[in-house]
Order: sequence, then C-alpha cells, then structure tokens
Amino acid sequence: MVAPALVLIPVLVLLPGLVHGGGVDLLKEFLQAAFSPSLDPLVLGSTVSGLGITVGIALLGWAASGLMGLALALASSRQIWSSCCGQTWPANLLRRLLAVPRSIHELLWGLLLLQLIGLQPAVAIAAIAIPYAALVARVLSDQIDALPSGALAALRCAGVAAPQALVTALGPPLLPGLLSYGGYRLECALRSATLLGVFGLGGLGTELKLCLQSLEFHELWTGLWLLLAVMLLLETGLAGLRRRWLMPRRLGLGGLTFTPLGPESGTGTRGKGQTALPDDLGRRGRELVLALVVLGPLLVWLARAMGVQPLALLHWQPLPNLGGSSWASVLALPWPQLVGSTLLLTLVAAGLAVGLAPLLLLVIAPWPWARPLLQLTWALARLWPPPLSALLLLLLLKPGLVTAALALGFHNLGILGRLLLEASDDYQAPAEIALQGAGVGPRLALFYGRFSGLARSYLAYGAYRSDVMLRESVVVGLVGAAGLGTQLLESLSSFAWDQLLGLLVVYALLTLVGEDLSDRARLRLLSPA
Amino acid sequence: MPAAPAREPVLPKPGPGVSSQELPWLELGQITVPGRGRPRLDRVSLAIGGGERVALLGPSGAGKSSLLAVANGQLKPTSGSLRWLGAPPARSGRARRRQQARIGTLWQDLRLIEELSVQQNLNSARLATWGWPRALLNLLWPLDTAANRGALAQVDLGAELLGQPVSALSGGQRQRVALARLLRQDPELLLADEPLASLDPRLASELLQLLLDQVTPRRALLLSLHRPDLLAGFDRAIGLRQGQVLFDQPACSISPADLAALYGGKLPDSGP
Repeated sequence: MVAPALVLIPVLVLLPGLVHGGGVDLLKEFLQAAFSPSLDPLVLGSTVSGLGITVGIALLGWAASGLMGLALALASSRQIWSSCCGQTWPANLLRRLLAVPRSIHELLWGLLLLQLIGLQPAVAIAAIAIPYAALVARVLSDQIDALPSGALAALRCAGVAAPQALVTALGPPLLPGLLSYGGYRLECALRSATLLGVFGLGGLGTELKLCLQSLEFHELWTGLWLLLAVMLLLETGLAGLRRRWLMPRRLGLGGLTFTPLGPESGTGTRGKGQTALPDDLGRRGRELVLALVVLGPLLVWLARAMGVQPLALLHWQPLPNLGGSSWASVLALPWPQLVGSTLLLTLVAAGLAVGLAPLLLLVIAPWPWARPLLQLTWALARLWPPPLSALLLLLLLKPGLVTAALALGFHNLGILGRLLLEASDDYQAPAEIALQGAGVGPRLALFYGRFSGLARSYLAYGAYRSDVMLRESVVVGLVGAAGLGTQLLESLSSFAWDQLLGLLVVYALLTLVGEDLSDRARLRLLSPA
Repeated sequence: MPAAPAREPVLPKPGPGVSSQELPWLELGQITVPGRGRPRLDRVSLAIGGGERVALLGPSGAGKSSLLAVANGQLKPTSGSLRWLGAPPARSGRARRRQQARIGTLWQDLRLIEELSVQQNLNSARLATWGWPRALLNLLWPLDTAANRGALAQVDLGAELLGQPVSALSGGQRQRVALARLLRQDPELLLADEPLASLDPRLASELLQLLLDQVTPRRALLLSLHRPDLLAGFDRAIGLRQGQVLFDQPACSISPADLAALYGGKLPDSGP
C-alpha cells in the first residue's frame, strides 16, 4: 500500500537539480500571506462574485450532467434493454459511443468549445456537462446491470408493464448509489469549475490565476480561503445528507460501482437497511422529491442570473480550413516522446498520490494534534487546481515533467487522503486494538492492524484515480515538457487544428487504454482472493 | 401404472365444487422445450381446473421448474399449445400483461424488493392494474393500507409490519409477506416453484397449509414439491420424469411403487 511512494526516491534525487534561485523568498512570502489575506472590500467583492460564478457553473454543469447522465445510463443499460425489448445490442453500442466524450477531459472540452463558440457562460457549463454525463452514464448503467434481476422478472411475470416494473424493482436499490455518486460528482464539478476558470472560462479560477501571476499573494489567499470554506461546507453538507439518507460511503461505493455487487457491498447496504426506522423509506423519497422541487427553480433562477444562453451553443464560429492543411506536420510531431512522457508523468503523479496518503497517516499516527493539520493540507490540495500548484511550483522549480507530476500528485493526494481517512475511521479493526494491547507501537499497529484490511479497496480506488490522473495530465501541460498536454495547449493557442485533431485522437485512445487497464486492476483487487 | 405419457391433452379433472363444463384454468398441450442433450420438456400435456390443488413431483432435473416457467409465461416453448383460462397467450403486449396479471407465482427465492417496505412490496403486486401516478406514489406514500392489512392477516402477520423494510424481517416472515403479495395480486392461477425447499419442517408445513387454504373454486394451485410426504392436502399429483409426464392421478392414490418409478428406485429424504 505504501510501496507506490517509492517514486519519491527518484523524485527527491532529481529535485535539487531543478531548484532555481530566487524562488524561496517568494514562496515564503506566499506562505506568510496565508495568515493575512486581503480584506479590502473591493477584493472581497470581486472574489465573492467570482466564487458565485464558479459555484453557479458547477451547479448547472452538475445538474445538466446528472439529467443527461441518467437518461444515457438508462439507455445504455443491458438490463433495461433486455427487459423492454429483449435486445441488448443498442446498450452495447451506446456504451462504446459514450467512451469518446468520456475520454476527453473537461478542460479540453472547455477550450475546444471556447474556440468554436466564443466566451459564453454556457461554454463552461457544457464543458463540465459533456464528459460528466458520459461518466455518470457509465457508472450508473454498470450499477443498474449489477442489480439482482429477480424482483424485476417477478413483476414482469405478474403482468406489470416494463417502465413501472423498472422503477419499482430497480429504483429503490439504485437510489443510495445514485445519491452518493451524485454528491461526489458535485464535489468534482466544483473543482472542475475552478479549474476551467484558471484557463479563462470565468469565475474565481480566473481571478486566482491573475493574482498568482501578479504575485498578489494576499488577494490570492482571500479567494483560496473563501473557496475552501465553500468546499468544506459542500462536503460536510453532502456527508450529512448521505448519513440522513443512509448512503454508503464512497469507498464502499467503489465496491458497489466497480464490482458486480460483491458480497461486501451487498451486505453493506442490507445491514444499513436493517437499522432503518419504520416508514423511513417513504420519508426519504418524499424528502428527495422536495429537494428536487426546490432545486429545479433554483437552477433556473441561477441560469438566468448568470445569463446562460443554451442556444448559443448551437452558433458555431466557422472553423479555419482543415482540408488544406498538411498532415505531414501532424506526423512530424515527436509522438513516442509525447506519449512516453505523458505516461511517465501519470505514473509519477499516481505513485506520489497513492503512496503518500497512507505514508503520511503512518507518520502522524502517534500525534493526534497533527491530524487536523494534515486534513487542512489535504483540503487545500483538493481545492487548489493543479495548474495553479504548477505555477506556484514554478516559483521554485524549473519547468518540466517532475514539476508537473508534483502538481498533479499533490492535488490527487488531497482526494485520496480524504477517502483513506474516511474509510479508515469507518473500518472496525479489532486487530489493531489487539496489536496495541500486545505493546506494538501506534504506527506499526495501524500499518498491520488497519491498513492491511483496507489495502485492497484503497488500491482499487487508487487504480481508478490513476486513470483519472492520466486524463488530467493535460491540465498541468502549461508548465512545459509534460507530454501530450503541453503539445495540445500549444497547438490550441496556435490554431493548428490538424495537429490538435491528431493529438486529441491519440490522447483519447491513450485514456481509453488506461481506463481499461485500471478497470482490470480494480476488478482483480476487488475480487475475493 | 395408470396414465402413460399422454398423447392428447388430458381433460381437466374437476376439483371439488367445479362443474366440468368450465374451461381449464391452465392447459398445456404437447409442450416441448429443448435442452442440452434431451429436451427439458417432452410433449407435456396437462390441464388444471378451478379449485384444484395439484402437486408436481419429480427428481431434480425432471423439468418441474421449466414446466412452471412455461405456465407463467416466462419460458416460451418451441412447440405445443398453452392456454390460460381457455385463451392462448395474447400477441399484443397490453392484453398479454392483463392475462399475466391473473397468474401469480410464488418464487423459491421470493423476489421481494429488499429496499422497500412490506407495504410497498405488497402494493407492487397491484402495479399491473395501476397506472404511472399510483406506481410512483407507492414509492413515496403508504397506499391501500386497509387492503394490505387484510392480506397480512390472511397469512397470520400483524399490521405493525407494514412499515418495516423487507430486509429487516425473519425468514418465516419473508415467506409470508411473499405469499401476502401474491394474495394482493389476487390471481386465478397460483404457481409455486419449490416454495418449501429452504424451510425447516415446521415452517414448511405451515406455509403449505396457508397455500392450500388459498384455493377457492375460482382459484387453482400448481405447486412443485420435492417431498412426497407432504402430499396430504392435494387433490392431484403429476409425476414428471426426464421431461415427460409419468403419472397424473389423484393424490390419495399415489402408491410407493409410483414414487419408486418416479425417483428411479430410491425415495428422496422425507425431510431436511
């Protein structure tokens, strides 16, 4: 479990060579500014309005992706097709087609749509909604297909029409996973909306980047603290709802989502059902309907306030001529090197993120006071968009692959660390108590007693996260020499559409292969030994 | 040996209180279902009339489950004729669903919806006749409480269970809730596939008695049974061996020799 942290060794060896002079003072200044964020009303005002736009983009993108994703999930579920029409090939076809929008990162969608349509609030929303909808569709249709089909067959056999039977037999078992995953997607949407801002699609991200580039660290921290507050509020709010509606935790969802309902997740939801109070189930449904009724008008109001015009997405600007360009320039790109460094970047970042989270928990195990500190660092890592960390690292380091990997790894460390901590707190570990009773130190007891039980599901989630990191490697491309991402951003800014197309295809293929590999790794890790 | 594999559909043998002019509740004529090697059902013909309690006997792999799956419309035979209350399965989806709503199946694995409450599960039996609004409302609000209370009372369960999630019930309670769901469907033909297989002897005989009690002149029961010692309450027994009907006769006239022929010389254990 800690073994991936071995990548630290080469990274640490390389680091001294990358450090350039002059950055240390700036970094110190940056850290000191954390304690004295600017409280100038002007700064506060613009930060709050920027934050409002970012949250609005996140909410609308999330809602749109949820609706589209749910519809696509139903349309790409084998169980639903076979129940309604007795055929499964349309589901399989749709699944293949959805791999394409899924394999392209939301940032790329954003930049592409920006070129095609121009700067519109709808562009950022669509950029989030398109890949998210495809992801939601995949995860949900997998969940639907993994549900036991007995009750559905029984209802169908008793003469119930397919739609009603599907809603009654599959709806309730699907709901906990749906809600939990929906909440997780909302957290992701907030991160994505901030990231899109960094690349000029509006909102707080844009302001953060401007502050960083002009070295206005006090104003930068104003935005960061506010963003942190919103993110923590969202995370605790969702955790509260999850508890209220008896949702499984996310690592638990990992089991539910990625294995065809293993014994672990099955008993998990059932066990929780047993503690449900009488008539709890109807209450949850009523509360959900109420939440949807409130959410609908809120979203419409938000869209109007932000001036979102969905129709603007249909007005495409004419593309520069594609046909006349020379494909030789596409072939001339150093493909092996680009692909190789993208993969290396992903591996290093994944090793850092997956390995460091348990290592840090082990290190702080004897000191209870260090725990909130670590949680705060991880929270900052989560909300801090990787390109901004990359820019920050550039104050200290030379541009290159290691810098990019550090930025990407740091961001994902925040996500993985939080999950590990949640799962670790949930996990009943009598072995750890037994070890402690036998006089074993807290670190070793944690390592042997608790981590050994968590290792499989954690590594399975790590495999999934590595696949996300491969897709995300484009966002740290701006620090240079970081493989396909760097080249993509260059081609975009130089309007080299032919190169861009070639890069997109290769990138999408790479992501799909990565996704397949991570799926296999996950299945192996989660299958009972 | 009284009845050899019949070539012609056997006429319904009227049960108590049913006139022989009535159409059979279930009629299979020369039904064949292919399988690997030998057919799972080989030219099976039988007819069951209203008010009849019929047990389906046979060793494992004899085709009992296939026969019940054909009878409730889940499995489509390659040849032969199937009639429910005198009518062949309808071609249009809506008419066929209306037919299937009159056939209730008690599944061996019960097939309750674990995440829903007892009341919601009982109501799910009415979905064939309910439209969309009620189907959705059922997930949010307790509906038809009086009818559900009545169904639970018929299977000796208290109304306090209505709000409980099914997953919180004991094994015996779950069996009864599944039966109560069947009663809420109010079918004319009751089918049950080895409903007693996983129950202890006391629960098994209690559930069997409940099932037998549901048979009225306007309702027929076909139940597959792995224990010939429980034949007492049945009117008729059909022996199935290697996909063919070996005997079809009044339950009281089944002799040890019939059973020996059915199970290939050795009797199954008379109880778990």
